[in-house]
Amino acid sequence: MTKRTKIGERALSYGRLFVLALLGMMIALPFIWMVGASFKTLDQVQNVEIVAKHPTLQNYPIVLTMKPDPVTHKMLDLQYGRWYFNSIFIAVGTTFLQVLTSALAAFAFSRLKWKGRDTVFMLYLATMMIPGVVLMIPNFQAMVSLHFINTYHGLIIPAAFSAFGTFLLRQFMLSISPALDEAATIDGAGAWTIFWDVVLPLARPGIIALAIITFLGAYQSFFWPLIMLNDNRLFPMSVGMLNLNSSYGQETNYIMAATVMNVAPLILIFVVFQKFLVSGLQLGGVKG
Amino acid sequence: MKLAFAITGLVFIGMYVGAEATLHDPKPDGKVHLKWSTDLNPVRQVQIEKFEQMYPNDVVTIDPSANGDNSKVIVQCATGVGPDIMDTEADAMRSMVDAGVLLDLTPTADKGGYSPNNTYASIKGDLMYKGKQYRFPCNVDASCIIYNKQIFDDHGVPYPQPNWTEDDFIKAANGILHNPSKSGKTLAAAYSPSWGVGYWHDQLLARGGSLFSPDKLSSRVNSQASVDGLQDYSDMMFKYKVIPTPADAAAKSSQGGWGTGGMNWFCAGQSAMLPIGRWFICQLGNYPEIKDHLGVVQIPRIGNRPSTVECDVRGAAINSKSPHWREALNFLQYLASPDYSKIVVDSGDAMPPNPKMATSGQALVDDLEPDPAFHAPFVAATVSGKTMDDDSPYIDAADVSRWENDYVGKVENKLMTPQQAMDALATQIDQQIRLNLERRPDLQKVYEQQTGKPYRSDWWKS
Repeated sequence: MTKRTKIGERALSYGRLFVLALLGMMIALPFIWMVGASFKTLDQVQNVEIVAKHPTLQNYPIVLTMKPDPVTHKMLDLQYGRWYFNSIFIAVGTTFLQVLTSALAAFAFSRLKWKGRDTVFMLYLATMMIPGVVLMIPNFQAMVSLHFINTYHGLIIPAAFSAFGTFLLRQFMLSISPALDEAATIDGAGAWTIFWDVVLPLARPGIIALAIITFLGAYQSFFWPLIMLNDNRLFPMSVGMLNLNSSYGQETNYIMAATVMNVAPLILIFVVFQKFLVSGLQLGGVKG
Repeated sequence: MKLAFAITGLVFIGMYVGAEATLHDPKPDGKVHLKWSTDLNPVRQVQIEKFEQMYPNDVVTIDPSANGDNSKVIVQCATGVGPDIMDTEADAMRSMVDAGVLLDLTPTADKGGYSPNNTYASIKGDLMYKGKQYRFPCNVDASCIIYNKQIFDDHGVPYPQPNWTEDDFIKAANGILHNPSKSGKTLAAAYSPSWGVGYWHDQLLARGGSLFSPDKLSSRVNSQASVDGLQDYSDMMFKYKVIPTPADAAAKSSQGGWGTGGMNWFCAGQSAMLPIGRWFICQLGNYPEIKDHLGVVQIPRIGNRPSTVECDVRGAAINSKSPHWREALNFLQYLASPDYSKIVVDSGDAMPPNPKMATSGQALVDDLEPDPAFHAPFVAATVSGKTMDDDSPYIDAADVSRWENDYVGKVENKLMTPQQAMDALATQIDQQIRLNLERRPDLQKVYEQQTGKPYRSDWWKS
């Protein structure tokens, strides 16, 4: 390789890095602005500088109702702790049930042989083509009939089944060698044992990927909880924060402080499990 | 993996038990529980407490809606479990009436004291649809110009006087822009950037214009009043250069670092005048530097016409399928009462619905702004204001609103003259009305009922 070629390759590499850094900055900028705004007073929020000229920590204790609002001298009418718990509880419940049901369905679609299996799977997948907005009113009607309005299970149970999750895990399970099932069968294992002891551990990257995706989606969910709930003790964070955006004015500084605290668990989960998320999605994309 | 599943399952069960155990359902109290769909606003609790004192057999809980978004109410009403009382905007009210969601208040309004005669005459049009009343205001908003006296003093410009005209406005704005500042401080603009369509609507109403013909079958946006109104807005931007164009506003905001939006400019001391409603005083606590230096004057008159602006109404309507609709009517009685209006006055949340509580600036004095002169122009603006006649049953108001923004934007960016923009907008509205009538038999029936003539595909030629 000539010296000129080496210089060219290095320049190309730096160029790529520069473009990627630029894209990364574009993605990160709203988040950085959000953190910056959480340390500003309301009159400073619209200023373009990221870091406040006179930063303040007061937004956080005010949102946590540990300190009164300096303008009204009253505590904000927020139940931040309860909403935080609700968000995590709903996300954990949805994730647990959705991963479990998706894994069971995926096992049936990938490892068990039964008449009409592929047709049923195609029908299952076809449900993904229907826009969610179209299903909103029928789903809500079903919740009304089941008396699930204004309950936790009205938020968790409809999200406990997922065609996407089933599809993702089926692709994983198809990549696991059928010889393992046969060996287990010879050793006397039934379908449940094969699922629980053989297939499930080997589908771990896919399960973790699905769990992360489901958790993030459930944690951030807004519209379904909004229409399902009218008791503020049941609100997740996403709906509870509406308190800070009313016809009385938008308290952007408080919204940003609440959001920073709200997204912290998501960032933590993503950082810890990002290896599984990326590898899981890649595997799901190429095998099958 | 199995262990992880088991632990997650146990955590979920534990959280479920904990969550349910800490929820205590209220014991049956024999009262009627009403749901009110509105935004979660700090003053709502005060309003509800007063209602429950006045009507001890009724309890109101808020069913929160995303501010200004009716999606939740639409989904709930479609499945028959909507709230008993709901806040609506005028165009949403019309859609809901057409969908059979809202209760006709006309038969009970006079007796209940919440008819259009119990509020400002200027907003009657926004409470009615097809000749029937469907809502009563929670509050009313009409814009005036709030000005910063410090900036006027700094540039040696006299304060705006009541009954001032557009010529006076141009003179004052030019004085602020061109007279040297005693303090040496520079401004971004004399007048805060405002919403172009809102400015044009005010001009249109002030000139006695309308959006539609009286039969609502064709547009009137290319009438002389409408074109002149938009020409006025264009002249303020490009001829007299006293109102920043949206492009100027965006450029100056990014250079100056005081953010976008007229209120931010004004509150940052970067402009001397701000067109806004009385609700601005809710925000005053956040801006102590300007709080004690403000004056208010009505929007300038055009020629010999009185100052006229568009009035906005946030109104409450009743769900026609509510099992508690009779009790919900109590809530409208409450909205019409002096007690409710007193809360609106004290909280500075725009203008109260009961005009008897807003007879003068003195009547609106509150802790937030103790100067009667501050409030008086808002009283006059609300009384002399009008509502826009954007209620043609033959076209979706949201479409018209979107096109208005498009064409006013073209004038703001000098892509069209006001005459060209209004001609194009009128053509687009008229074409859509014809198309809607051609496609929809229900609208053809409305046409036949209204005109007394059979529908024909070339109806518009006659």
